[in-house]
Amino acid sequence: MRSIFRRSLTIRTLLVGGVLAALLGAVFAVLVVAVREQQAAGRLALRSQQAIGAGSALETSLVNLENGVRGYVASGRERLLEPFRTARRTYPAQAERLSRLVADEPRQQAAVRQITTGINDYVALWALPLVGLADDRREVAQSVLATGTGRERLDTLRSELATLFARERSVAADRERRADKRSDTAVILGLIGMGLVALVALGMWLGLRRSILRPVERVALATRAVADGDLTVHVPADREDEIGTLARSFNDMTDALNRSHQQLDTRTRDLERSNHDLEQYAQMASHDLQAPLATIDLYLRLIERRLPDASQEELLQLLEGVGGSTDRMRSLVRDLLHLARVGRGEPRRETLDTRAVLDRALENLAGPIEERGADVSAGPLPIVSGDPGQLSLLFQNLLGNAIKFSDHDAPRVSVTASIEGAEAQFAVRDNGIGIDPQHAERIFQPFQRLHGEDRYEGTGIGLAICQRIVSHHGGRIWAESTVGAGSTFRFTLPLADASPPPPGPTTTHEPETSHAAAA
Amino acid sequence: MRARLATLLALGALGILLALAGCGGGGSDPADGPSQSQDPIRLGTKNFTEQFILGEIYAQSLRAHGIPVELKSDIGSSEIVDQAMQIGSLDMYPEYTGVLLSEIAGVSERPPSAEATFAAAQKFERTRGYDLLKMTPFSNSNALAVTHKTAMKYGLRTIGDLAKVPGGATIAAPPEFRTRFEGLVGLRDRYMLRAKVVAMPIGEQYRALDQGRVDAAAVFATDGMLEDEEYTILRDPRNLFSFQNVTPVVRTSVLRRTPELTKAVDPVSAKLTTDAMRQMNAQVDIDGMEPAEVAKQFLEREGLL
Repeated sequence: MRSIFRRSLTIRTLLVGGVLAALLGAVFAVLVVAVREQQAAGRLALRSQQAIGAGSALETSLVNLENGVRGYVASGRERLLEPFRTARRTYPAQAERLSRLVADEPRQQAAVRQITTGINDYVALWALPLVGLADDRREVAQSVLATGTGRERLDTLRSELATLFARERSVAADRERRADKRSDTAVILGLIGMGLVALVALGMWLGLRRSILRPVERVALATRAVADGDLTVHVPADREDEIGTLARSFNDMTDALNRSHQQLDTRTRDLERSNHDLEQYAQMASHDLQAPLATIDLYLRLIERRLPDASQEELLQLLEGVGGSTDRMRSLVRDLLHLARVGRGEPRRETLDTRAVLDRALENLAGPIEERGADVSAGPLPIVSGDPGQLSLLFQNLLGNAIKFSDHDAPRVSVTASIEGAEAQFAVRDNGIGIDPQHAERIFQPFQRLHGEDRYEGTGIGLAICQRIVSHHGGRIWAESTVGAGSTFRFTLPLADASPPPPGPTTTHEPETSHAAAA
Repeated sequence: MRARLATLLALGALGILLALAGCGGGGSDPADGPSQSQDPIRLGTKNFTEQFILGEIYAQSLRAHGIPVELKSDIGSSEIVDQAMQIGSLDMYPEYTGVLLSEIAGVSERPPSAEATFAAAQKFERTRGYDLLKMTPFSNSNALAVTHKTAMKYGLRTIGDLAKVPGGATIAAPPEFRTRFEGLVGLRDRYMLRAKVVAMPIGEQYRALDQGRVDAAAVFATDGMLEDEEYTILRDPRNLFSFQNVTPVVRTSVLRRTPELTKAVDPVSAKLTTDAMRQMNAQVDIDGMEPAEVAKQFLEREGLL
């Protein structure tokens, strides 16, 4: 009950409304009772008045009975008996009416019965015999009249009537007093009831304000704030009722808005960067493609000019120059394709022995290794999850760079790996020229070259491809280097039986030492 | 909490309302008594103590015999009661034979015996549709009483001696004494006596005597007051006051309709001696007992209930 009460505004409102209705009903009932009491008292008072009226008529008849008899006995005149005759005809109905009017008061009714019997006796056993006696022997009747017995009896009856009246009046007054008192009580109760209604209504208003309006106002203010751009605003949501639900929903909404806003920000930043990258990429790609084109163009003009009198040897030399530039363009285009492919779609997830992957890369590098007399060693390597082609390319690029950026006659490269949680961390260490720390980040961007192409050939895309492959597999790649003392490229890959972490932006570690390097 | 308080208050208000609205239940009419198989005998009495006692005695005896009675005591003098009989307001009343004869039948002759008086009265009443039941042994004759002191003072022994009272005797008497033969009329007629009547209700004349407001008082021979030695009854050598044995006068039709009435009344009348009557009158007038109680005691004493 209590918890339902706390949980639902509807039930609370209904309850308070019910109480209010009950109070109003009670007040109404009290007033109805009061009005009915007053009406009843009025009726009773009226009836008492009527009873007294009927009694007075009866008394008049009684007096007429006595006066008629008295007059007739005294004078013998028939005319004087008329009031007696009339009264004798009318009094039974009057007595009956009186009896009816006091019917609800047993004592009064008994009194009426007694009076009626008294009048009956007065008529039958006194007045009529006296009239008869007067007809026979007037002087005897007169002497009987002189005893005053008749008047005595009349007075007795009249005093009984007077008592009846007095009692009727006091009964009426009593009823009126009672009714007044009750209606006073009813009015007071009504006032108290109205007061209670007002109090409950006030309490209801205050309660509603506290429990509904203020929280709703808070939510409205918060909504305004959200509309004005403040997505961090929260409203108190510790209640269990509908308001609590509203507050929680509001908070959920701002949270969701906030999240999507942040996502939007991130995405926008990503897009901006990617757009910028793309612009730079296009600029650099066109610039880098222009150089071999210009070389080819130069060679072709030379060939054109020299064609009439050039020796075959000279022509071959020139054509070789064209071929070199074409090779450069081809490798540039190939690397660009690699870069574009790596960024597209989900990488294949295969369980791979990195040793085999490394071996394939070494096979592809067999030419340069042999040419430079490089010494490539590898420690124990783990089983990882990944795309065999991409990982092979990764190793190929890193090893190729290590061999390329070395002034030694016999460059030494080692590949080692360690397990870090669910990841394998690889290190490709060389004894090459190293990288200047200020360029440690730049080297992973496409077309970033630290050295002239005349010195170390290459497209400047290799490390960008590496970074994209690692990042695509959910790993990180970074370089540690000391200028002149060689570089170590480290990267992480997910172990085979670990579920792959989602791909994200790769963070490159601050290299301990800078070392010029380029891919 | 607020709501609960309000609920309580509302309930309280409703309670008060219900208490207010509660109305008293009406009383029920008492059930009618077992209806009488016949109309009650309307038994009337005249307007003095002895009659009240007689009325009670006859009423109680009749009721004991299963005859319903409506007792109407204290109606008035014989003339009035007789009129009430005539107009049908009464069926029965105890009457004195002498009064009946002199005041109702209007016969001025005094029969020589109680039996003769009864016979004459019965003969008269039978002509009017009434009958007389057996008369009582006691005779409550009218009489004139004086105090012992007055009797000594004027040497009063007989009614005629009242002429000795200087300035004429004053007599305390009920008002009808003035017009009755056994009153001023007979006093003049039999004793040539002119007296003044001081009219008063029956029963008050002894006090008037005691206070010396009157010289003599019209009394009944069975008055309880006469048990006192202080009063002297004046002798009536000229038979002014007649035999006054009590006889119940009954409407003949009623008697015919209720033949067992005689059996309820006659044995009672037979026990009413002068001593018994005077004693009962004294019980009421002097001891202040209720006539009904006195009657009941008498009936029980005589084995009549």
